[in-house]
Amino acid sequence: MTGLHLSLDAITKRFGATLALDNASITVRGGTLHALLGENGAGKTTLMRLAFGMTQPDSGVIALNGTPCHWRSSAGAIAAGIGMVHQHFLLVPAMTVAENIALGDRGVFTGFSPRDAADRVRRIGAETGLILDPDSRVGDLPVSAQQRLEIVKALARNAKFLILDEPTAVLTPREAQELYEWLRGFVIRGGTVVLITHKLREALSIADDVTVLRRGRCVLSAPAAELNETTIVQAMLGGRIDPSPVPEKGTVGPVVLRIMDVAVDDDQGVRRLTEATLDISAGEIVGVAGVEGSGQRELLRVLAGRVQPTTGQVRIPERVGFVPEDRHRDALIPEMTLVENVALQDASLRTGRMQWASIASQTAALVHAHDVRTADITVPVASLSGGNQQKFVLARELAGAPPALIAENPTRGLDVRATAQVLLQLRQARAQGVAIVVYSSDLDEILALADRIVVCFNGRVISTQADGDAIARAMIGVS
Amino acid sequence: MSNNAIGLFLEATVRTATPLAYAALGELVVERSGVLNIGLEGIIIAGAFGALVGAGAGGATAGFVAAVCAGMIIASIFAFFVVTLKSDQIISGTAISMFGLGVTGVLYKILYGTTGAALHTPTVGPLVIPFLGDLPWVGGALFAQPVVTYALYPLVVAVWCFLNRSAAGLALRAVGERPEAARAAGISPSRVQWISILFGGAMGGLCGGTLVIAQAGTFAEGISAGRGVIAIAIVVLGRWTAVGVAGAALLFGAASALQYLAQAKGWPLPYQFSLALPYVLTLVALAGLRGRVAAPAALARSDAESI
Repeated sequence: MTGLHLSLDAITKRFGATLALDNASITVRGGTLHALLGENGAGKTTLMRLAFGMTQPDSGVIALNGTPCHWRSSAGAIAAGIGMVHQHFLLVPAMTVAENIALGDRGVFTGFSPRDAADRVRRIGAETGLILDPDSRVGDLPVSAQQRLEIVKALARNAKFLILDEPTAVLTPREAQELYEWLRGFVIRGGTVVLITHKLREALSIADDVTVLRRGRCVLSAPAAELNETTIVQAMLGGRIDPSPVPEKGTVGPVVLRIMDVAVDDDQGVRRLTEATLDISAGEIVGVAGVEGSGQRELLRVLAGRVQPTTGQVRIPERVGFVPEDRHRDALIPEMTLVENVALQDASLRTGRMQWASIASQTAALVHAHDVRTADITVPVASLSGGNQQKFVLARELAGAPPALIAENPTRGLDVRATAQVLLQLRQARAQGVAIVVYSSDLDEILALADRIVVCFNGRVISTQADGDAIARAMIGVS
Repeated sequence: MSNNAIGLFLEATVRTATPLAYAALGELVVERSGVLNIGLEGIIIAGAFGALVGAGAGGATAGFVAAVCAGMIIASIFAFFVVTLKSDQIISGTAISMFGLGVTGVLYKILYGTTGAALHTPTVGPLVIPFLGDLPWVGGALFAQPVVTYALYPLVVAVWCFLNRSAAGLALRAVGERPEAARAAGISPSRVQWISILFGGAMGGLCGGTLVIAQAGTFAEGISAGRGVIAIAIVVLGRWTAVGVAGAALLFGAASALQYLAQAKGWPLPYQFSLALPYVLTLVALAGLRGRVAAPAALARSDAESI
């Protein structure tokens, strides 16, 4: 047996009234790549946080190479050779790469030398191929480099056991491929990897072993070679898939959104979008693809009427529904109730006394029509699951049948079921004649959903064939 | 004559800057760990009162020790609320400010009678360094000051080294920028913030002690006179760096000392103007939006531990 062998046995963990893990077990063989699958809220991340010492189990045993471990904080797990790359990176954006690496060096009187730290970054880069500029400010790095830094951070602490939480969610297909290749190499050199993911196809193609969690319980654990997509999906969902009829695509109507020769500068005067021309008609879904920071953010906001272009012509209807990417920050006030969040829409147009009764009945109708699962419409939005929050945002934006809807990464962070429901909502809206623009970082999703695809590259909007290869090439500027 | 006026002005600048620099250096460390201690005013006045009691009982040195202890006691109350209980920092800080001002006033009356008669404490005079103290212009300012002023010079360097060249300082800055990241690196944000608040309390206490023992020679209710707020402004103006804070403290000292220069030069400056100047500067520093750019990202966040 090579590498670190980790087992979590009969783990139970409660957060208040919620039972996050219910007698869950997982065995990760040393020197293998183990995929941990499950829907959102199944307990994948919680289980791995326990393995990383960030929280402690209520009951159950964590053992490394057969020896029980009782870590009081992640410091213990780090010392034992475990490293974790979190889904939301735990980096200090204001600090440099070198400073982030040195963070966590122990001792009150231990010195910090920027030069030594930079040398460490370069040395690890030379040894592992994960190359980073030690002096760049982390906040200025692209997402893929930040992820590389998270891995380097773990390796700098001599991690031989890496846990990665949804690492490809933020990567382009090509970057994801590179990451997988690197992880395979790491395993071949004797390392051990746990990959938390909900992309089962990728998990099957790369992993040695697969464990599936459902509602805090371990429901499947087997070598990947013995499994196929169907068995995994059944294990993940527990045979509860309710197939919904896909609404018919209606006829494409007149042009609803039109921008001509539009350019957008950001606050620093940097041109983010240039010479953008696009028509979107009623009853069609236009998919937007692009590597992060290619101008799609500005394109969507111009189309939604949220950003005034620096130059160019924009013709959009008075009301355009908008689903921004960060629903917690930009679409909802999680501490407020569902009713209040519905009332926030058009709040700037309203005057005088609030018509709470009519807004409440409107909210109830929306919740019912879009199958938003909530205890009540007067509970804080924060109490809803991520998927239901997103359905709720979409429901609100589609209320009163707006002529157009702009959605930015609408299924980000959602599990299989919630994703399917959100996509269904979008298709239903299309059938009702709404002009829809969807940006997604998941290329497969755009291909499945959109009638027509444009790619943003370097601030330009390029029309392309609806073909995976052509789009992937356009995204990185290769024709 | 001109040399004399400038010399006096510079001397007064450094003298007024000394207590401010102590409080601001402490607050700098506290803020870099993500805590905004607007209760500093209460800590300073507690330090001043502690100095009065300590110096009366055991001389000047005992006074400084008591000042530090008093500052740390008030700071530990603040730390208990904002770090351990995760209370709102602004509300807790305001309460601590008022608590410090109130409790010292009450204790002063209980211990020293209601007359408020001027009490004189043992003081430390300027320690003139031979030859250097006689230098024109800067001699009095830099080399004929109480020992607490000299102690500041290495302290500024030490705080800078700690923040920028030690692992612990890096950890502290990380807590102030992104406590989640610090926690993932095995650092306990609570512990770091507790220790930094206690350090800030000790420095705030020294500020009060300096006022009483090295300057006024007595205590009066409200002797801190807004220095807690000014120290916070100094941190903003100093862009959250040790050297910047030292410079900003000197600037505020100069603003206060301007009246001496105006008098000596016979400038027709109403004295209210020079009295108001430090507070105007405070307003400008605190309102200056550009200050936010350099501020620790997690400053005044009360959910530091929950991720």
